Amino acid sequence: MRKILPGLSLLLLPAGLFLFAGVVSAAGNPPSFTVGWSVYVGWDPYQYMAKSGMLKKWADKYGVAIKVQRFDYAPSLDAFVAKNIDACAMTNMEALDMPAAAGVDTTSIITGDYSNGNDAVLVRHNLTLGQIPGKRVLLVEKTVSQYLFERAMALNNLSGEIKRVKYVNTSDSDIAGAFLSDTSQDVVVTWKPLVSQILRGKGIARIFDSSKIPGEILDLLVVRTDILNRPDGSGQRFAKAIVGAWYELTSQMSKPGPEGDKVLSAIAGVSEDTLESYKEQLSTTHLFYTAPSAVEMTNSAQLKTTMELVRQFCFSHGLLGDKTSSPDDVAIRFPDGAIQGKKERVRLRFDASYMALAAQGKL
Amino acid sequence: MSVLQIHAHPSRATVWILSWFLFATGVISYFWVSRDRHRDNPDDRVMPTLRQMSQAFVDATLKPAEDDEVAANASQQSLVTRIRKSMLWKDTIATGRRFLISMALLFPAVLLGLHMGMFPHVGAFFLRFVLFFDKIVALSLLPILFIAFGIDELAKVMLIVVGVAPTIILDAFNLTRSVPKEQIVKGFTLGAGDFSITYRIVFKQIWPRVLNSIRLNLKSVMLFLFAGEMIASTDGLAYRIALLRRHMGMDTIIPYVLWVALLLFLVDFGMRTLNRKLHPWFQEA
Repeated sequence: MRKILPGLSLLLLPAGLFLFAGVVSAAGNPPSFTVGWSVYVGWDPYQYMAKSGMLKKWADKYGVAIKVQRFDYAPSLDAFVAKNIDACAMTNMEALDMPAAAGVDTTSIITGDYSNGNDAVLVRHNLTLGQIPGKRVLLVEKTVSQYLFERAMALNNLSGEIKRVKYVNTSDSDIAGAFLSDTSQDVVVTWKPLVSQILRGKGIARIFDSSKIPGEILDLLVVRTDILNRPDGSGQRFAKAIVGAWYELTSQMSKPGPEGDKVLSAIAGVSEDTLESYKEQLSTTHLFYTAPSAVEMTNSAQLKTTMELVRQFCFSHGLLGDKTSSPDDVAIRFPDGAIQGKKERVRLRFDASYMALAAQGKL
Repeated sequence: MSVLQIHAHPSRATVWILSWFLFATGVISYFWVSRDRHRDNPDDRVMPTLRQMSQAFVDATLKPAEDDEVAANASQQSLVTRIRKSMLWKDTIATGRRFLISMALLFPAVLLGLHMGMFPHVGAFFLRFVLFFDKIVALSLLPILFIAFGIDELAKVMLIVVGVAPTIILDAFNLTRSVPKEQIVKGFTLGAGDFSITYRIVFKQIWPRVLNSIRLNLKSVMLFLFAGEMIASTDGLAYRIALLRRHMGMDTIIPYVLWVALLLFLVDFGMRTLNRKLHPWFQEA
């Protein structure tokens, strides 16, 4: 024991000091918030926003501290549901079937973009949608890929045939390699940049993509509602800061010529991408560069139609949980106060007010 | 402080309490936190309660997977048919089949190792390559595996074989080499041929140790199998876990993980018992 004790205390001393320092600094520092993001054309800007100091400028203005952290997509959702992070970039579908369905009241404060061709159904041998039933389809099951595919079938009056499709659940980290290497596979559904990578293979064609269902696959920034409702108002200040920073950045991104390119190549750089590839992805992304356009989308009747489709899809595929007996149990509230589902079970809220403040130049 | 001595003799009761202590702490703290989280958020899915988990497990064992055609009279079928059509049964069979096939494919690896150890030319031919191959992280070469074996059943089995076989080959090789030379010389003087020495003297001696080493590699086999099923598949225990993770179905995932642990434990236990029954002279942990 004697020999261990000095060793132990040597170990504990720095730990104790560290804890002490943490307590002291926490007392003097502004409330801190963490935003999770994953690599995707519409979310890469968050990292650049933090790196360039733009986010800090806005955070300081509102007296908060904001940290931005990169995740893989699925872990970022897990972290948000487990309440390890305060805000997270995700699609409208995952916002509903992950946090909202798990009882974490969630508010979307930025409608960032919609996929306008980023997600696609790719085939070999020039198959048509009608020929796919009975064949195997590689995709990440129960994600927007499956949503896109089933919407494609529905739009072509093939809904009844969906049952005959054999889904092969394929991890997104290997799906491009798997489809390109195994030429016996005929159909794959995935998203960019994987789509671009797969399309470079021989004899592969795109037969459907998200540009045919514009506005249905939305990319949002969501915040836990209890954070926004903090009594000290720090959550709302955080929301204002990040919305302010977002629209400052998007206005820089949309500048024509070398000025915009400089920002875009810096954004591409943070996800190890090139300017050319990033621009190619942006071309199939409908990014709401201005706050008024995002507000318009969030307030539109189209959003309600979309969410109705999405919640029915989630419910019929068991994504709202086995115990959920009706899609109404995970209700959605829209900016005009309209509610899809039971009033007392609102779990996902679309809030356009922060974007509206940005639109009015009041941030 | 006698409890910390090498000579300590804990009583039966103490051993019992000590050995279950960590289990109890784990289970209690889990349910403690789970209860807290549920009080805070009744819809919490991250840490399901005992009732949710047992309900999910019953569902998994009695109801067919959602993607299957559900028979209209499902509830009228007998218990056995319901279990045999259930999600858990289907997944277990799919995973079990892959597991058994890859285990069967590991046995030629033992024979290869044996021959490498016995016949210098065979050893010279294979040893360096296997040593090199053993250090290759198979999972990072997936795209090449896909070209060679597609992405169906064969790929999953081959991923396991590529990942585990080199270890087994090298182990069998080393065990073969550790059999005393004198025995082989003695065999020759008594008139045995090359193959009877290989199989009747050496193989018999290393076999229980090889079985043991396969048993110790069960976990790697399972890890590779799970990796394969998570990469691309249509059924299997890991496929289900990967799918359920998409909507935080922890109430099913946790029972599934425990079920896998139980199955692995049973296979391990079975192999140990078999080894003891077949080779009563073999005394090694």
